[in-house]
Amino acid sequence: MEAARKIDENDHTVYHIKTTGRGPLIETEHFCLWYGSSQALFDVSMDIELGLVTALIGPSGCGKSTLLRSLNRMNDLIDGLRTRGAVRFDGHDIYDRDTDVIGLRKRMGMVFQKPNPFPMSISENVTYPLKVDGIHDKTVLAETVERALQGAALWEEVKDRLKDNALGLSGGQQQRLCIARAIAADPDVLLMDEPCSALDPIATARIEELINELRGRYTIIIVTHNMQQAARVSDNTAFMYLGRLIEYGETTRIFTTPRSAKTEDYVTGRFG
Amino acid sequence: MYKSITFALTRTATAADQTAEAVKYIRRKGRSDLSARGEPFLWGLGGALAFGMLMIFGFLALIVWNGLVTFYPKPVQVVTLSDGTLLAGEPSRSEVYKPGPQVLEHLDEPARQAIAAEHGYARRTLFRTGNFDLYNEDFRWASDFSIVSVAEPADVYFIERIEWGPFVGFIRSLNLKGETVSGAALTRQILEEAHRRAVQRRELIREIEREEIGAVNHRLNSERLKLKRIALKQGENSDTYRQAAAESLALQETLQGRYHDLARDAQAVKAEDAQYTVTLAEIGGRGKTIPLSQVVRFTLPNDMSFFEKIRLYLSRWLEFLTDEPREANAEGGVMPALFGTFVMTVLMALAVAPFGVMAALYLREYAKQGKLVSVVRICVNNLAGVPSIVYGVFGLGFFAYICGGTIDRLFFPERLPNPVFGTGGLLWASLTLALLTVPVVIVATEEALAAVPQSMREGSLACGASRWQTIKYIVLPRALPGIMTGLILAMARGAGEVAPLMLVGVVKLAPELPLDGFFPYIHLERSFMHLGFHIFDVGFQSRNSEAGKPMVFVTTLLLISLVAFLNATAIVIRNRLKRRFLIGHF
Ligand SMILES: Nc1ncnc2c1ncn2[C@@H]1O[C@H](COP(=O)(O)OP(=O)(O)O)[C@@H](O)[C@H]1O
Ligand SMILES: [Mg+2]
Repeated sequence: MEAARKIDENDHTVYHIKTTGRGPLIETEHFCLWYGSSQALFDVSMDIELGLVTALIGPSGCGKSTLLRSLNRMNDLIDGLRTRGAVRFDGHDIYDRDTDVIGLRKRMGMVFQKPNPFPMSISENVTYPLKVDGIHDKTVLAETVERALQGAALWEEVKDRLKDNALGLSGGQQQRLCIARAIAADPDVLLMDEPCSALDPIATARIEELINELRGRYTIIIVTHNMQQAARVSDNTAFMYLGRLIEYGETTRIFTTPRSAKTEDYVTGRFG
Repeated sequence: MYKSITFALTRTATAADQTAEAVKYIRRKGRSDLSARGEPFLWGLGGALAFGMLMIFGFLALIVWNGLVTFYPKPVQVVTLSDGTLLAGEPSRSEVYKPGPQVLEHLDEPARQAIAAEHGYARRTLFRTGNFDLYNEDFRWASDFSIVSVAEPADVYFIERIEWGPFVGFIRSLNLKGETVSGAALTRQILEEAHRRAVQRRELIREIEREEIGAVNHRLNSERLKLKRIALKQGENSDTYRQAAAESLALQETLQGRYHDLARDAQAVKAEDAQYTVTLAEIGGRGKTIPLSQVVRFTLPNDMSFFEKIRLYLSRWLEFLTDEPREANAEGGVMPALFGTFVMTVLMALAVAPFGVMAALYLREYAKQGKLVSVVRICVNNLAGVPSIVYGVFGLGFFAYICGGTIDRLFFPERLPNPVFGTGGLLWASLTLALLTVPVVIVATEEALAAVPQSMREGSLACGASRWQTIKYIVLPRALPGIMTGLILAMARGAGEVAPLMLVGVVKLAPELPLDGFFPYIHLERSFMHLGFHIFDVGFQSRNSEAGKPMVFVTTLLLISLVAFLNATAIVIRNRLKRRFLIGHF
């Protein structure tokens, strides 16, 4: 490794190393975002590869969650939000006027930092996306519950108490239930915002295992502040800093031979 | 110990060090200060709480006790006064007073001395003597010094009557269609049998007059209105009108015939009834003959077992809850008022719930949270503080005169100038109260909505649910217990409100219930009776407030119970709902 490269805060070069994959599913193009008058994302351009796990890392407040929530337009809820540039999903700009936001969200499951199961039974939680779509066929619902819970590696633990209230599950189980809910309607993309930050190490290991199992079936984008986790579960990693994308490429390369001094400082634990 | 620290510090002491040291000194010293520890404030707070609780529970205890004992039969005392006259009545309360000099002048020496020993004060007792038709008063004071002797004779009757209030005295004779029964021949059995028959006749008359003649009148009236409607629509010269008029007149003729038949029947029963009378005598010997059917019940209060007293007590409660009022509301039951209060409160809840919830949903879930919404919110909060009579004026002006007047002109032109909806009524009263309580529901609903975690909404939206689906499936179910709480508060407030109702439909005595057997069965335009107003009327508007006092307590007890019952039901429902969301982590 080269000796201490000087960090220049005004140097906004973006280091795009080659990413592995079968081609992009989501592309952001010069994407900027403002919360009211304060800008949270600056000119983010990156291609997210189909079927792979992409990790977003960076110090807290750097805009990881903002970027993630921009991908399924969850930010629409916030008053005074403005964007510029484009986010293309499957070739269509999702910030286009006539985008069907609800249809977009139906193609992207989302898992949040804190487990947020609904105060309903376990099976009702899993079938909620189907209920929203107006599917009431009992056999379809039952099959979905089993498939999604098995997909989220929760089936064995809860198969005997599907009618119990989901709030009675442990934190880790709740988070896996949320993953089951996110994959119940068979989306293309799974967005995860620090899914393990509220969990203990054992539950965390369980979720990481699960992400490895889901790899290939879904395009997964995971925000994490834990670099070991990013290294363990992701194929590609994007490093963000102060609302900018600094470096993006294959995970192994980001962690072993980062091009940017900022990335190097962050992954070696000198700040963050 | 800290002296040495002080010493250690002073060696290199800067100004800042000295300040810090001073603060430290004050802090350590301050610990022992009583006011700093806040104990006196704690006592003050505790005392305030205790005082408040005492007031509330004392008040409730007063109401409950007075309300519960009112119907329990009290003994009737026969008092011999010093001037030789007799007085019979229920002792209702006694007090200490200062007799005037004229009174003292006429007293004998020992009594005067006794009063002087009490510093000029004497005790007197208020007797409920009844017999208003003979005495022109219901109550009489008797001073202790004027009482020679007190007895509780077993044969003195306390007779509740339809008119003139109770009669206290004796039964002299029973006149059964010319045959007179008196003395030993007049057994309790004969009396009760004759009374039972008389009550049957009374009910028969009532049925003929109220139900059957009422039905005929109703049909006659609707026939006339129908005809008038046709006249208004087609003109009096049209063929339709002429034809309808002919038919209607024929029908009216038969109805008139039926009316006369019924009236004759009623007259016959009344004439028969008049031949069965009972002659009563008050304690001084003055007689009074009344029809037997005028008597509600004969009781011998001094000659009753505990079991009989309980039976009487319960039957009086039953009468109170199921009968109509008589004697200018001071006696009888409160069924119409109870029913009116209940129906009005339920209607109000039905009106206020959707409005309040929808308004709060819009404010909290859809509206852009900005200045305008803040202003609206402040306005809503302030609406809760507007005096209720203002709502009454608004309800009368807007609902009754404007809305009701329009409805009358559009749908009931044949009844003009008599208003149908164009005056106070059940519907307008409910809507006025709904308006009055809607801020309560809006504020509570908004709070309940705000308490639903944002993460729930995000979870739902991320599943591809629309905003409305999110509200329907996630937000509303979770906010429901809070919304119910708001509704409970609104209902409790609404049920107890009187002032605005006096303007928009509550009356002293409503001849008809808002619910009856004539189409359309529920009559929202009718004026109605209300427990709160009933209390006001009985307690402060009646000919004798002393006679109305027990009724005030019982009715208050009933109103409080009704409000408590409504609240308890809603609380049970709310807790059922709440349990679903309160399962913690294990
Ligand atoms: N709802 C919001 N309104 C205004 N500013 C926000 C909002 N959410 C996030 N921000 C700001 O945007 C920046 C990025 O936040 P975020 O994306 O949450 O960071 P990260 O997830 O990387 O910790 C932060 O400076 C934060 O203060
Ligand atoms: Mg974040």
